[in-house]
Amino acid sequence: MDFTIAEELASVQQLAQQILNDFSDVEQLKAFDGEHVRFDSKLWEALAEAGLLGLDIPEPQGGTDLGFFALTALCEEVGRTAAPAPVVPVLVSAAGTLRRFGSDALKEQWLSAIAGGSIVTAALEEYGNEDPATPATSAKATEGGYAVSGTKICVSLADQAQRILLSANCDGQLIVALIDPKAAGVTLSPQLVTANELRHEIALDNVQVPAEDIVATGATAVDAMNWATQATRTALCASMLGLCDKMMRITGSYTSEREQFGRAIATFQSVSHRVADCYIDIECLRLVTQQAASLIDQGRPAEEAVTIAKIWCGDVAHRVSQASQHCHGGTGVDRDYPLFRYCLQARQIELSMGNSAQLTGQLGEEIAREFLAAS
Amino acid sequence: MNIELTAAQKALQTEVREYMKTVMTPELLEEMKDDDLKEGGGPEFRKQYARMGADGWIGLSWPKDLGGKELSHIEQYIFTDEVIRSGFAYPFLTTEAVAPVLAKNANDEVREEVVGGVKRGEVTIAIGYSEPNAGTDLASLRTKAERDGDDWVINGQKMWTSLANYADYVWLAARTDPDPDKKHKGLTMFLVPTDTPGYSCTPVRTLGARTNATYYEDVRISDKYRVGEINGGWKLITSQLNVERLSLFTHGQVHSLYESVAEWAAETKAPSGGKVIEQSWVQHNLARVKVGLEALKIMCWNQAWMMDQGPLDMAKASTAKVYGSEFFVELYRLLLECMGGAGSIAAHSPGAILQGKLEFRWRVGSILTFGGGTNEVQRDIIAMAGLWMPRTR
Repeated sequence: MDFTIAEELASVQQLAQQILNDFSDVEQLKAFDGEHVRFDSKLWEALAEAGLLGLDIPEPQGGTDLGFFALTALCEEVGRTAAPAPVVPVLVSAAGTLRRFGSDALKEQWLSAIAGGSIVTAALEEYGNEDPATPATSAKATEGGYAVSGTKICVSLADQAQRILLSANCDGQLIVALIDPKAAGVTLSPQLVTANELRHEIALDNVQVPAEDIVATGATAVDAMNWATQATRTALCASMLGLCDKMMRITGSYTSEREQFGRAIATFQSVSHRVADCYIDIECLRLVTQQAASLIDQGRPAEEAVTIAKIWCGDVAHRVSQASQHCHGGTGVDRDYPLFRYCLQARQIELSMGNSAQLTGQLGEEIAREFLAAS
Repeated sequence: MNIELTAAQKALQTEVREYMKTVMTPELLEEMKDDDLKEGGGPEFRKQYARMGADGWIGLSWPKDLGGKELSHIEQYIFTDEVIRSGFAYPFLTTEAVAPVLAKNANDEVREEVVGGVKRGEVTIAIGYSEPNAGTDLASLRTKAERDGDDWVINGQKMWTSLANYADYVWLAARTDPDPDKKHKGLTMFLVPTDTPGYSCTPVRTLGARTNATYYEDVRISDKYRVGEINGGWKLITSQLNVERLSLFTHGQVHSLYESVAEWAAETKAPSGGKVIEQSWVQHNLARVKVGLEALKIMCWNQAWMMDQGPLDMAKASTAKVYGSEFFVELYRLLLECMGGAGSIAAHSPGAILQGKLEFRWRVGSILTFGGGTNEVQRDIIAMAGLWMPRTR
């Protein structure tokens, strides 16, 4: 057992912090609120130049190949600054899946582009369905490829991406494809989400995908989508870790200065204990996230660890966000103060790719299966 | 980063688990049915404790010159975890918390007598910190020790002196300076042999286990039983608290309760047909337990690992105390709910599920949220040491 953070990883984190801090003061962040896609292309360029987009991309494709754990460290730092950098959909859901399941040609074509700053995103969710291994979106084989029809929702960067990775069901067989959002039959409709950003619904009507843009089919496609689900959930947990830690620290500082009844409100136990509870929650989230990330990093079975981490993620997000807002009073909800943005981002992640209630239900069914089989 | 036990650590875990099965003899299980011997102290307990000593299991983390194996805190944790999981009333505060402090600070004669005795599994020590009017606020304790020639004369009363009914010594904090500039500066540590005249002990019955009040009426002990410097007791008290905490919230014991309840639920018919575990509300509770257990396990491993790297951060130690103790109570609740009304049937009554183990655990569970330093004070520590927030009042 070894909890050591490797030295190179610590320097990655430091470098990421420096760059992200330069791009995420209140005024800069404001420019990406609301009616805009939350993407700072200058920041993305800076991250690419520093080699941070290629943490989980092999060296021949222009990456540094430090692995998945290193990538989650970057996700944590992005969470901490709430910077408009779509590391999870691009680097984890899309690039991570391509790296592990794509053909050599696709890897050659896209991984080096992504490490250099190109945008390939992923569309993993549908209405009422957060499991990309069982999509309602359908495909049928055509001459030279597949025709895909269906609807994906809340897709980040859909209108800026060169390709969108998504799954479809082809007569009981899963396929994973890269869709060109400019292809005929693709309709993008903007969706404003809780995180106060524009995402897109993607409607696909018989969209032709050439064979060379198929990432995986059959059992490999199922493995790919299971990997994508677990890796994405874990990366969301890591982002949440950064977000929650920052929310807590903002709250610790604010309550230490804000005076009421003639003294700093942090000197009331009723206040300091709420913040201490956030500290305990965040410590738990950190540990279960590290466990899930290190298992995925080593290519070990991680499903249960990931489910547990995402349950903690949802619960901790909810509690820390609420405690932080409450301890701030009105300031916490004021859009001129940074806290609100963290609360909204946290809520978005909490609702993405499986929430606490749903995953607790799933885990409970697993437990029942395990013990019924043994009894 | 690799949050898993190494092959050698897993082997140690298996070895201890198998060994402890031989310690938990039918005679011992019978003896532990007596409420006063549940937490140890009976002849079969003494026999098995001494056997653990003879077999070299006591003091794994102690230095080699004390007969220890100098194992890391992680390995020490694996050992403690398995011992507690087995249900043996191993006096881990004696072996892991107090004995190492004595080894460092007691004089040679006492070190041989007490630390040697612990190593052999012959000596147990109760902890005498709390008093009727001083719980977590140890700086305010009033039991006093006065110098008289080569001796000390001790007068006062201690509360919650668990295990004192069979312990050989009380590790006693007493006031030696009645008027220090800071209250915690006037304390000195002593070992009081429990056969010293003037010492007495009466039971205190709690919701679950027996604990004790202990009385010190002109108790005269030699200066050799003073441990550490006069008025230097505070340092000795605080230096053992981290280790103590890590023994209090081990993962193995509660994990085995989870497994037992899940097994019971998978075998037991539900009124609506099918098995208890097929009901969604039971699955929900089991899943909630599992989610909390996983965090507890990694937190314990993480803290043991951090203790191997250097002194444990105060805020992190308090985090484990609060999380562990409050999760235990929640876990008992969630698991007992799975059993329905029959969850309230106590051991030895007909219909008791899992020999009433959980029913009993729930009754003792709340002790840990205030024992070992109340959780409110732990939260004060977290806010100050972990978040740099100003001291509360």
